[in-house]
Amino acid sequence: MAKDRRQEEDYLTPLRRLLASVVILALFGLFLVWRIDSPRVERFRAQVVDQVVPSFDWAMAPVNGMLNILRDFQSYTRIHQQNQELRRELQQMKAWKEAALQLEQENARLLDLNKVRLDPRLTHVTGVVMADSGSPFRQSVLLNVGARDGIVDGWATMDGIGLVGRISGVGDKTARVLLLTDTSSRLPVIIQPSGQQALIEGDNSAAPPVDFLEAPELVRPGDRVVSSGDGGVFPAGLLVGRIAQDPGGRLRVRLAADFERLEYLRVLRHLGTEEIQDPGSLIEPELDPEAETGVNLSNAGAGDG
Amino acid sequence: MAEHAATSPARIWSMRAVYLGISVGILLLELLPLQTQPRSFAGPDMILLLTFCFALRRPEYAPPAVVAIAMVLADLLLQRPPGLMAGLTVVVSEMLRGRSEGLRTLPFTVEWLTAALGIFAVMIGYRFVLALFVIPQAPMLLALSQLVATALAYPLMVLGCVALFAMRRVAPGEVDTLGHRI
Repeated sequence: MAKDRRQEEDYLTPLRRLLASVVILALFGLFLVWRIDSPRVERFRAQVVDQVVPSFDWAMAPVNGMLNILRDFQSYTRIHQQNQELRRELQQMKAWKEAALQLEQENARLLDLNKVRLDPRLTHVTGVVMADSGSPFRQSVLLNVGARDGIVDGWATMDGIGLVGRISGVGDKTARVLLLTDTSSRLPVIIQPSGQQALIEGDNSAAPPVDFLEAPELVRPGDRVVSSGDGGVFPAGLLVGRIAQDPGGRLRVRLAADFERLEYLRVLRHLGTEEIQDPGSLIEPELDPEAETGVNLSNAGAGDG
Repeated sequence: MAEHAATSPARIWSMRAVYLGISVGILLLELLPLQTQPRSFAGPDMILLLTFCFALRRPEYAPPAVVAIAMVLADLLLQRPPGLMAGLTVVVSEMLRGRSEGLRTLPFTVEWLTAALGIFAVMIGYRFVLALFVIPQAPMLLALSQLVATALAYPLMVLGCVALFAMRRVAPGEVDTLGHRI
């Protein structure tokens, strides 16, 4: 029976096969081009995402809202328990608030005494999370701010409290944030109070492990982890989280940012850390043009030193 | 006339549009920022399932070009290496298309097994090529859980397709609008 059919459609089958092989070749060709010239294809990807995702906003917003309402509704079932918890927390918060107010006043006084200038250029742009990576293998989110808002690749992204990730891929209207939990994320950090330098390596788990630690015995669970600014990509001193130890004895970072609900993220404008290049030259009194030779001599001397 | 309806050009083109529409819908649902915590297990790859379901039951509704469009869009939006998963899916769905004729008279379990083998081939091929090109990969456990979940979800997808679009398998002896046997 199958044979009959083959004879009937003999004129169509080769055409169909040709079409299929052209399609397959084109697809694998695309993959090869991506492997060879990744930046160009990634820019194309950013453009596609830029076009597609915002145009689906009208459909995504209501669905997202409905699902969030449903999720909130589930929490009503344990409302009493939550109420108790909240009251307890409120008590603690009141104590903290008192302490914070006192510290704030003290801090203001000290700053005034010292004439400290906090970095005025560390401003931020706030964006709304539009979409996540969509696959369980990548950890990233898409923000609704992009190149038109001045976003640049590599800038640090925080939620209200802690570091979330960095910008990786900017379209005109959208920007992708590579989260600290993604397998390709690496972040140089300092662990306080011991001052140990380490690297946080994302591994697709909620608490990324700490690696390249020189003296692990100096680090204890509960230590604060802040970004070190090494490599010049991130500003230094952004809160990342706290050290925790997993059952296997490995040190991990419990992230300070609330990864459960990433909604509004701020992208920190970072214009690069300035470096001091020259070793400093000889300070000399200003000379009149006739004494040129003397200047040259003194400069040569400074170069040697 | 009733059996002609399933292969009329209008029906074929509308089903192709439906295939693309469902794929975009699935992508949209996956992109919703509901879960930003890393997961320890992965759900089924719905677009792959949909493609194989179409390829095994009604191959003419999902020709290679249409499958390629849907999969490349998925590759681009889901941050996969563009073209690789799409290429593998088109290759395997073409193989399944060739098998679909022989499967018409066999029980459903055989069809399920064939689909599972296809899913296995795509995912193993994907990991193999990634390893070959030294591209960082997802953890093994996550990929395995996706493989198992996808294979297990095949009957559900078939059930959905049958319920929504009355997409039966081609009955033996069925003819198309021109009277050709399909």
